[in-house]
Amino acid sequence: MQKQVLFGKPKVTRAPPGYPCRVEKYDVVMDRAKCNECASCLETCAEYLAPAPVPYEAFQKPEGYIILRNPSKSCDGIDCRRCERVCATGALSVRLSPQYLALGDVRWTPDLILSIWEQSEEGKVSRRYEHRIGNSGGGFDRLRFDFEPNEEKPYDYEAFEDVDIDTSIVLNLRNDGRPRIEIPIPVYGADMSFGSISLDVMLARAQAAKAWNTFTSTGEGGYPEELIPYKDHVITQVATGHFGVNAETLKRARIIVLKYAQGAKPGLGGHLLADKVTPEVARLREVVPYISLFSPFPFHNVYSVEDHYRHVQLMKDVNPRALVSVKVSTPIDVDMVAIGSYYAGANILQIDGGMGGTGAAPDIAKKNIAMPIEYAIPIVHNYLVGEGVREEMAVMASGGIRTAFDVAKIIALGADGVVLGTSELVALGCTRCGNCERGRGCPLGIATTDPFLMKQVNPEWGAQRLSNLYYSWKTQWHYILAKLGLTSIRELRPKGQVKFKDGKLGRIVHLDHLR
Amino acid sequence: MRSGFERYHVEAKEAPAKFRIPSRFIVKRYNNCAEVQECTSACIYGVHVVRKDGKIAEPINELCRGCYLCVLKCPDLAISVEENPEFQGLGNSYFTPERIRTIYFEAESGRVPVSGAGYNGPFAGTGFDGLWFDFSEIVRPTRDGIHGREYISTSIDLGRKPPRLLFDEKGKLLSRELNLVEIPIPTILDAPVTCATMRSLQLAVVKAASKLGTLATVNLKDYSSDLVPYVSNILTRFSPDAIDEAEELIRQSRIVEIDLGGEDSQIQEYIERIKRINPSVLVSLGCPYDECSHERAYNWAEKGADVIHFYSSDEAVERNPDSITRAINRVHSYLVEKNMRDEVTLMSSGGIAEASHVPKSIILGADAVGIGLAYQIALGCKVCYGDKHSTDCQLSIESQDVEWAAQRIVNLIGSWRDQLLEVLGGMGLREVRRQRGEIGRAMFYKDLETKIFGGSE
Repeated sequence: MQKQVLFGKPKVTRAPPGYPCRVEKYDVVMDRAKCNECASCLETCAEYLAPAPVPYEAFQKPEGYIILRNPSKSCDGIDCRRCERVCATGALSVRLSPQYLALGDVRWTPDLILSIWEQSEEGKVSRRYEHRIGNSGGGFDRLRFDFEPNEEKPYDYEAFEDVDIDTSIVLNLRNDGRPRIEIPIPVYGADMSFGSISLDVMLARAQAAKAWNTFTSTGEGGYPEELIPYKDHVITQVATGHFGVNAETLKRARIIVLKYAQGAKPGLGGHLLADKVTPEVARLREVVPYISLFSPFPFHNVYSVEDHYRHVQLMKDVNPRALVSVKVSTPIDVDMVAIGSYYAGANILQIDGGMGGTGAAPDIAKKNIAMPIEYAIPIVHNYLVGEGVREEMAVMASGGIRTAFDVAKIIALGADGVVLGTSELVALGCTRCGNCERGRGCPLGIATTDPFLMKQVNPEWGAQRLSNLYYSWKTQWHYILAKLGLTSIRELRPKGQVKFKDGKLGRIVHLDHLR
Repeated sequence: MRSGFERYHVEAKEAPAKFRIPSRFIVKRYNNCAEVQECTSACIYGVHVVRKDGKIAEPINELCRGCYLCVLKCPDLAISVEENPEFQGLGNSYFTPERIRTIYFEAESGRVPVSGAGYNGPFAGTGFDGLWFDFSEIVRPTRDGIHGREYISTSIDLGRKPPRLLFDEKGKLLSRELNLVEIPIPTILDAPVTCATMRSLQLAVVKAASKLGTLATVNLKDYSSDLVPYVSNILTRFSPDAIDEAEELIRQSRIVEIDLGGEDSQIQEYIERIKRINPSVLVSLGCPYDECSHERAYNWAEKGADVIHFYSSDEAVERNPDSITRAINRVHSYLVEKNMRDEVTLMSSGGIAEASHVPKSIILGADAVGIGLAYQIALGCKVCYGDKHSTDCQLSIESQDVEWAAQRIVNLIGSWRDQLLEVLGGMGLREVRRQRGEIGRAMFYKDLETKIFGGSE
């Protein structure tokens, strides 16, 4: 079997957002009544407080405060506070900006969003943001690697940029004559359809996937011709509506994913409203324009394990060199589903946890159906280990994985790698406002097919942003693995049973159960 | 034979709120704005608009959906999107601002709340937030109820369902005829809190129950002549010493409830007295949840209660959200253990703050769920728990508002029913009766947390 040549690590090129303004974590506020105009603050902070393109006088607020801001630099905030200290009259104060406080939610905290934006722009993360965990109160946000409490700050990720640590994973662990497919980073892009995201966003993802020799997926919306140049890095999804699925698109792919369920709305089908079925969407989906489309649930040709086997084999027959990935969500018997998929011949099992992303889903389903991925992966891993087949099927986790540390944690819990959705969109500028489904779609031009709105995302710029994010994450994985004394991310994934004892599992701890 | 079968359907009509809740975001445009109008062209929700005189109007906070595009696009850095403290101050830690906002949306439109992006709330929580539904994958067919292509029944039966028929030695049937009241949704409307405009409020609730085909609980003291036409949708509640007073109502009703404070030695006698007045009326025994609820339910079922209605105050559930989930399940499990579960109907009220709490109560073991505070919030209640010192009560339903109020309740419950269908469809259940007590199809946060992370040496 020929070993694939891995691409060199793509270079980081700055990719600043295309907007004149940013959401800042810190504000410097000046009480005009107290300021004696000594300018000592300007002397001590030449970066942030330096006379900016916008005159300070412009920031007059009714109550007599002036917010000092330089749109091309970010304030270091409470770590610095030099300006506060040098101000003789006490006119200056550094505070968290109200915009920052209103951004995001407990899962995607403002810090996580801003840190993903920063990484996508710079290819590295600064000390300004909590970039590892959110504030959801469980799962990833309560798991830590045991080295974390004793680290020196700021983290010296950059020292680990070029160390010789392997972050590649293999997607086909079976000895079934199909390609092994190795990807240099343990992540590939999640299924997002044309229609749920714009073509330019798909192109950005495909270009980044090509640059990193990994994958992205079509989702269930057909296979736009524009993606054909990237076909070696595009997964063809077969979902219950079979939209745009034909022998041609199946034969084009190196990986075919059968989507049985989606973590955000498990057990429920999809419904694309008539006015979103534009002629272009209709052509790719091979349907009549402006007719509402149902994606039923489930696959009506799969009602048993035998059917499932035939379904997987059908895909394998249509494309003899493709790997077949089975995408399922997390019911109570997710372990049974996993072993069924193994015997059906799946090369990859993708498990999408209950916190997974979506373009539109009923809130009741998002919150209440299916279990989080942090539980599902150990359950599946342990069962497959018990059955002696764990080393024959790649298990990919998705649904609520936001950071490089989340990726490392879920691998330490038993996954081989991660399928990444929302983080990629945040890299492209998503603010997590959750209005993807409404009217014209995403106002930021990501989850939309509105020709005016989608202009905000340029494919090349987007690809660079994603590439920068992967670069930053890869550096962080180097750092984590080095701190754990490992040389390959494959060593991070446990071989035996995942069993926490007194809140500890190897070098990972759960803070709520630590004794 | 019933002819002209009609599929149950809740008719939703727009019913805008009388009192707007505060907007979630405040959009500020500072006076360094140079009127470049980037924001007005950027905003697709209409927050920033150009006035007739060509200037930019004050931002309309209510329309803001927090996308931040105007903030990012303003070259003068003149716009700020901030949290609205007034919105954050709505309700309490249980009836959260988000829940209140959702109830307003549901009551106004009758639609199912849908949004983009993944779930944005906490990892898990206590009480109803501490469990997830299982769903069907690959080998168990799911149902598509919400779009109406497959029929999922949300009907339930109130009354005793004997496990077997009893005959005497000569083969004569001893068992009483099966006497059930079927309601098309597993939700009933609890009596509203006493307020200044009680008569109109109570009428609105009863009208809503009638439109929905379900029951509304009415305390005997709040019964008025307005309610007479709706008597078959009323669950009249009275204390044991008011049985005589309620005689006329007992004669007309399908179901009545005796309001008990706790154990009572004369329960059998009360039931017999009521059945003598109207042999076909169902008797429900109402009582607050406490430590002995499960034993009480068993005793009362033995003594002939058709329905047992336990309730908990929303205030108590707010203090300890686990109390309600534990209480429901304890009663259910005890009756199952005692082989008495189907001989009595269990209704549970309290702590129902969002659509998912209905199927969650059912999966924990209740047959029917009482909704109280939630529909009052839809009508303007500010969740003061009857605080006498509260001066800003908005729950005033004048006689001209009755239709409006009834429609808002109908919209809310209709939306909740559609969301129930989503859950049942996802779980692959054809009817809500099958969901009752299906704890095996629920996943508990505490169990999973212990199983995965909580092991000890």
